[in-house]
Amino acid sequence: MGIKKAALWSEADVGLWLAEEGMQEYTEPLRHMDGRALLQLSQADFQRPPLSRITSDGGRHLLEKIKTLNIEHHIEAHKNGLTNGHVVISHNGDASASSKTKRNGMVNGYNKELVRIPIPEPIGPQFPTEWGKTGIAFLYAICCFVFTTIMISIVHERVPPKEVTPPLPDKFFDFFDRVEWAFSVCEINGMILVILWILQWSLMKHRSIVARRFLFIVGTLYLYRCITMYITTLPVPGKHFQCSPKLYGDWESQMRRVMKMIAGGGLTITGSHNMCGDYLYSGHTVMLTLTYLFMKEYSPRRFWWYHWGCGALCAVGVFCILLAHDHYTIDVVIAYFITTRLFWWYHTMANQPDLKVASQSNFLSRVWWYWFFQYLERNVRDVIPRSYQIPFSWQSLHWGHMKYSRIDSD
Amino acid sequence: MAASKFPKSGDSNSHISSANHIEVTVADRPHPQDTPDNGRQCNDRPSRFSRSFAKILRKNQDYLQITISEPKLEQLPAEWWKTGVVFLWALLNLFLTTVMITVVHERVPDKSVSPPLPDKFFDFVSRKDWAFRVTEVNGMLLVTAWFLQWLFLKHKSIIGRRFFFLLGTLYLYRMVTMYITTLPVPSDHMNCAPKLEDDHLGRIHRIMQLFFGGGLSITGSHMMCGDFLYSGHTVMLTVTFLFIREYSPSSWYWTVYHLICWVLSAVGVVCILVAHEHYSIDVVVAYFVTTRLFWWYHTLANNQSLLDSPHNYLNKVWWRYFFRFMERNVRAVVPCVFSWPISLPRASFKIPCRRYSKVQIVREE
Repeated sequence: MGIKKAALWSEADVGLWLAEEGMQEYTEPLRHMDGRALLQLSQADFQRPPLSRITSDGGRHLLEKIKTLNIEHHIEAHKNGLTNGHVVISHNGDASASSKTKRNGMVNGYNKELVRIPIPEPIGPQFPTEWGKTGIAFLYAICCFVFTTIMISIVHERVPPKEVTPPLPDKFFDFFDRVEWAFSVCEINGMILVILWILQWSLMKHRSIVARRFLFIVGTLYLYRCITMYITTLPVPGKHFQCSPKLYGDWESQMRRVMKMIAGGGLTITGSHNMCGDYLYSGHTVMLTLTYLFMKEYSPRRFWWYHWGCGALCAVGVFCILLAHDHYTIDVVIAYFITTRLFWWYHTMANQPDLKVASQSNFLSRVWWYWFFQYLERNVRDVIPRSYQIPFSWQSLHWGHMKYSRIDSD
Repeated sequence: MAASKFPKSGDSNSHISSANHIEVTVADRPHPQDTPDNGRQCNDRPSRFSRSFAKILRKNQDYLQITISEPKLEQLPAEWWKTGVVFLWALLNLFLTTVMITVVHERVPDKSVSPPLPDKFFDFVSRKDWAFRVTEVNGMLLVTAWFLQWLFLKHKSIIGRRFFFLLGTLYLYRMVTMYITTLPVPSDHMNCAPKLEDDHLGRIHRIMQLFFGGGLSITGSHMMCGDFLYSGHTVMLTVTFLFIREYSPSSWYWTVYHLICWVLSAVGVVCILVAHEHYSIDVVVAYFVTTRLFWWYHTLANNQSLLDSPHNYLNKVWWRYFFRFMERNVRAVVPCVFSWPISLPRASFKIPCRRYSKVQIVREE
């Protein structure tokens, strides 16, 4: 109906149009009007019968519609050659102001009835890998680890000896006596969890982004740990501790000690960690909790047995830290608190586009690491789906279908 | 061709302004009064109008202003009983903290057995006598300022609820951290009251004294040791400042006020350390926990849509049910509006606090 120019309408067309517009009451008095006559209706016509009897608003409504028809008519009439100079056409700048529609209104192939709303296409892929950013996060994590190790070495010099300051009273230690083998259990659990996590990570589709997140969070947690370790030094939690002797000012030996610790991953099992003083807060708890949180977060929901298994490993590991009297209870509690809060904070910000913008109601953006977070997550546009793939493509073997498990990602 | 101005008609506020754009306003209101003339048309007006409106849209429209009328439900109900419940929560936690301090006091190792732990701040700054008094005076000033400000806020109930909840939770956390591991006294100057082994009456007396003295040393109520991790003074200073800043306007004069409060708060916190009354770790942990909890809570409160989102991890905190109870009926961001505490006739004035004055005016109507 609208395709045909209004000026060419017949009486029937006019009637049809009126009915379409919901103005059936005018069909009767205007039945002898064709398109051209319709376009020439004016206010005055509505003040005379028969139209004055029919209309309820002085014909404003209909005149309005006719006006828009007129505009179209103008557009159609001046379709040849005239560009934006035309007054009527120039304000055709609706929200979808593409350059095509500025020229003479309707372009060939455009149905006048339809509205074209160009949705801005996302620039680039939804989950760009951006290994560069992951590299920076990796460097950040490494820096924090090295810094922590150096800090442990420094703090070790300041730990008051067992004789001077005995272990502080701790509620857990009052209930549970020390168990020798407990700390090995904790460290084994930790290693299992880390290995599982690395395996899981290598099978993920969006490795880069997940790695970035893990490295950033781990780095920040260790950075916080540096600070808390340094400002106040707690005494050793148990008499069983064999702290290596202090090296007053002997930088070379201290460096060697630091290297040894880094190489051993900070674990007592590897024999690299015989320095004291790094109690508040517990790094073991951080690793156990964080790996568990990540594993749970980036694995399919239906693998409940996997989640429960890892959760058990984590809980047992943390319990064993305390059982071994290797950390105070406060160390473990604070480590758990900070790890979970930071993890949830980061992921809430990453998954909600509203919260990626610093605004007055977005209190989450007031953390000091917000700009770093923006840098890392700026181009990640959506919640990362839990999809997996084999890290290298097996072109020759077609039996193993790729686990692009879209079903898994809920 | 210039269009003439059409005045509003019936229930459809459509008017076509002159010049080069069409502005269409749709008011989603219930059906208007039926007049004899319009009676027939009122029923099918909306549908007819919406169709023609859609057509006008297609033709040449610049922008569209849609004013949705305010829903009938009240956006920010007072619900004082909820505030009462939360106040009881805070009171309970404060009381339990006092009890816990007395319990922990018995377990603090003696200065001779466990000397003060090495602390970086104490290495640099030696102790000053008058510093702790400064802290407590600052704290009292801030609390008074916040109380006065709160008194003049319009949505006292909701804001008071939030304050009490945060305070209660922070003191609950403090109870836990104080209890599980007991730190020795930070400095040799501290004279801890003697331990009362089995003297329950004496303990109760101490609890009462501490509770009613507000836990301040100035009032002479706090001579017990052991409540070091984490620092309650820091919590009060930080939380009052955060609330003062959050619920006050951001004009120039108020910025000066914020600055003063910030200075009071910062100086108070630093003086705690200068007075060697707490370890640095106590202050740092207290600051961290307070700010995180405050921001977490307010993000949840101001973005209620987050509660239903599946990817919202903020919901995983243990106090989410408590949060729902408190904020279920708060449907909008609490605006910063002041009014007289006792409503005199025609006495409530409204100061638009934020600079979004246009929105404020619309909301106020």
